[in-house]
Amino acid sequence: MARFFVLNWGILLILVAWEGWVAANDFNPIVMPSPQGVFMDMISNPGIYVENTSVTLFVAAVGLAGGLAVGTGLAILTWSSPLLSGIVSPTAVLFSSVPVVSLIPIIARILGYNMATEIAIVVIITFFPSFVFTTAGLRDLPHGSQDLFSVLGASRRATLRRLALPAAVPNMAIALRLAAAHAILAAMIAEFLMGTTGLGYLFAVTKQEFLTERAFGTSVVATAISVAAFLATSLLERRIRARFT
Amino acid sequence: MTGAAISIEHVTKRFPLKGQSAGVMALEDISIAVEQSEFVALLGPSGCGKSTLLRLVASLERPTEGTVSIGGEAPGSLAARHALGVAFQDHALLPWLNVHDNIALPFSLANKPVDREAVGGLIDLVGLNGFETARPGQLSGGMRQRVSIARSLVLSPEVLLLDEPFGALDAVTRRQMNIELQRIWSRQRITTVLVTHSVDEALFLADRVLVLSARPGRIIREVATPFDRPRDPAVMRSATFHDLVDDLTDALHPTDATAHAGR
Repeated sequence: MARFFVLNWGILLILVAWEGWVAANDFNPIVMPSPQGVFMDMISNPGIYVENTSVTLFVAAVGLAGGLAVGTGLAILTWSSPLLSGIVSPTAVLFSSVPVVSLIPIIARILGYNMATEIAIVVIITFFPSFVFTTAGLRDLPHGSQDLFSVLGASRRATLRRLALPAAVPNMAIALRLAAAHAILAAMIAEFLMGTTGLGYLFAVTKQEFLTERAFGTSVVATAISVAAFLATSLLERRIRARFT
Repeated sequence: MTGAAISIEHVTKRFPLKGQSAGVMALEDISIAVEQSEFVALLGPSGCGKSTLLRLVASLERPTEGTVSIGGEAPGSLAARHALGVAFQDHALLPWLNVHDNIALPFSLANKPVDREAVGGLIDLVGLNGFETARPGQLSGGMRQRVSIARSLVLSPEVLLLDEPFGALDAVTRRQMNIELQRIWSRQRITTVLVTHSVDEALFLADRVLVLSARPGRIIREVATPFDRPRDPAVMRSATFHDLVDDLTDALHPTDATAHAGR
């Protein structure tokens, strides 16, 4: 218990100050809810929070997996052919430079105003770090290993499978860590702008309907799952790094 | 008798260099014939092109002039049929594979099923029993080089190429590794070329020692070692051995050769 206070005293201090500030000014909950109010809304409506959180997590996870797969696939393409590399790299940079918000209406036109578009947005946001890091990782080989594979008569395919891809795994783990937090953010933005479910949508709706306590509760949940995703992927990255280097 | 003969004929190697149209001459008109089952050591000062010579035989470089052939074949075709064994100064072990899997790697690259008995036998031969599941990061420098040597032998290659395999080791471990390599080699007798700058190492391991001059590399001395196989480490203490060490050291450092000019 004492340890809990030592580690989290900053957060607790903010909560206490916030509560005191709201009470002292006697704010209406529509203008500024108290932490207590937010907390009460969360525990008295668990169904709404759980349902929307799981939708957002699903969109983020599927989109993240897709983004990593696309990024890795493109990296392998550029690895296997300088000609393709000349096409893929600039296109990837261009695609990742376009503000995603401006892409949403276009993608929604193609895929419809549904979850498929949300997942596509997450893929677009997350593929780029995966592409960049995997491309670098495929070339960051253990010293002398390229000569070894050449002398041992390894085929190009065997070199990819047995040398370049395993060598790129630690970099892929870095890409996963960077992309995981972005994936949740991207899923929420997509839901906020066009969705029908999920935390982003819940936030948009509750804000419009002046359910400020719920809007704050949504933010708390979103922050919590982003931090959790970051911590989990950091841990995973450390494990993978230890295993592959 | 195992292995193939290596023939290096009038090989010259130039590397392109900015501002010099002819490039840098690394090797000049080198001719070496390595017989089947012969162990030849190339001895030379740093930068004399001895590693380049080995890389030519390993098909990692192409000669500017002249030809390199192994058993009548181009080195590249030998590599393509997985008949070359190499151990370099960089052990080049894959950090994500354990000892067993690193040694078994050449099987996978040759699309052959892993011969667990052969791998186990080599682990035994290089004295790494009990370390099969350890990964390179958990091993000492000497142990890593043993894994590298075992890996070079696992496909029973026709030619073994060793480039300073013990160069990064301390003197004690290096001597120990020389004794072990001598023991292993005496059993298999694969045609071997060793590049080293240690006179003792060359004399103890090889049938024939060739000394290369500083750049451009030329063969300036050739010595056949008179020791029987398998060699007892005691030969390193014999008078003949010491005389040969002096002889070759003089050849390596011509500036201090005056005292022994008559030899």
